[in-house]
Amino acid sequence: MAIHEPNYSEEELVASLKQNDRTAYEYLYDNYSGALFSVISKVLRDNEKAEDVMQDAFLKIWKNISSYDPDKGRLFTWMLNIARNSAIDAVRSEKRKPGMDDITENLDRTDQNATYQPSPSTLDLKALVDTLRPERKILLDLVYFQGYTQEEASKELDVPLGTVKSRIRTALKDLKHYFKI
Amino acid sequence: MNISAYIDSGILEEYALGIVSPQEKQEVECLTQVYPELKAELELVEKALEQYALQHGVPVPGRVKDTIFTQMKFGPAASAAAADASPADIKEEGRTIEYDTTPIQEDARVTRPLWGTLGIAASVLLAIFGAWAAYQYSTTRSENEQLAVEVENLNEQTNTLQQRAEYNEALAANYRNPDVKIVNMPGLEKAPDSEVVALWNQKTNEVLLDVQNLPAPPTGKQYQLWTIVDGKPVDMGMLDDDFMGKLLRMKASSPNAAAFAITLEDDGGKPSPTMEEMVVMGKV
Repeated sequence: MAIHEPNYSEEELVASLKQNDRTAYEYLYDNYSGALFSVISKVLRDNEKAEDVMQDAFLKIWKNISSYDPDKGRLFTWMLNIARNSAIDAVRSEKRKPGMDDITENLDRTDQNATYQPSPSTLDLKALVDTLRPERKILLDLVYFQGYTQEEASKELDVPLGTVKSRIRTALKDLKHYFKI
Repeated sequence: MNISAYIDSGILEEYALGIVSPQEKQEVECLTQVYPELKAELELVEKALEQYALQHGVPVPGRVKDTIFTQMKFGPAASAAAADASPADIKEEGRTIEYDTTPIQEDARVTRPLWGTLGIAASVLLAIFGAWAAYQYSTTRSENEQLAVEVENLNEQTNTLQQRAEYNEALAANYRNPDVKIVNMPGLEKAPDSEVVALWNQKTNEVLLDVQNLPAPPTGKQYQLWTIVDGKPVDMGMLDDDFMGKLLRMKASSPNAAAFAITLEDDGGKPSPTMEEMVVMGKV
């Protein structure tokens, strides 16, 4: 998604959303729907269903914005939880758990998709993200995008739980470092 | 509290990733409110993950945004009603309607045995009773008809007996009455087996006929009684076609009647007898 020039600060955006302002929601959708849709797609692996869940998730965000508490975390973290849980619920309703077999494929796909809108800043960030070591990236994607617990990721990848935890922590330190501007 | 040690534990990352337990979640939310350093550190983690996610964003088909935003209502007034307009609530309303209708159907299923079965049972019983009643009625009616026929027969028999009794009583009374002249009229050549008796009360000149045997008259023919007075036939009236077993009252006779005779004449009789058609005759 386009990383727009942030004409909203986080506080302003949240305030406008809570006032049910259409422009704020358009901004929210234009800037964040791609990231949310990416997570949903990775969990569901079904584009048609992913679109339905995307609808549900965004409408849930709109409907429940009053329950969002900025003191507990950033808006995106809250939204991502809604999107991911919606997708996981949809998968569970199919009695299917997202498998590991296509994670690499998904990663490749999303990485390709992620390059669709190059801009100087995203190219820089993309380059930074790509410096994440693959074994850390896979874990981050499993846990962050697909809602795996660290124990599940440990079993799925056949990596000791301690290793999973340390790798994720290291990946996040790297990310913090990259994005700490 | 050792802030840096807490940060190094990695729990803020786990919190941001959404993989903490409810207890840990509450702990992080509490501590980040108390310690601004923790809050700042959490912000950094969240921003990093956010950027990571944004970097991996994929384009959403354009129709999805249109579909979503047509379901949304905006503005302060719509804010309160936003929940009502959301598809989740519409879905829930649909479910509610489903749940509402299901109990009604179940109620109907439950109540059907209560009155429906009773109704069916009642109608079955009614049908059975109706059939039984109809059968009973028809049986009774046929029995009644039979009885009525029997009663009628009995009445007829009674009447016949009564008529016969009256007839016999009248005969006996006439035979015992000294005023009555018994005139026997035996059959002639035309009807040799015929026999008719004339009971002539010579006081009152009343004449009764006792037909004991006469051939049934052909169609269009009727028997006619005559007396011979002074050598001339005098009309005494027509005999009923139903002449058997009873006394037939005829015209009053002339005191000078010398004989009685019956001829077979055309219906309604004739002023003078057809001598060839005389069936019985008796002299006084």
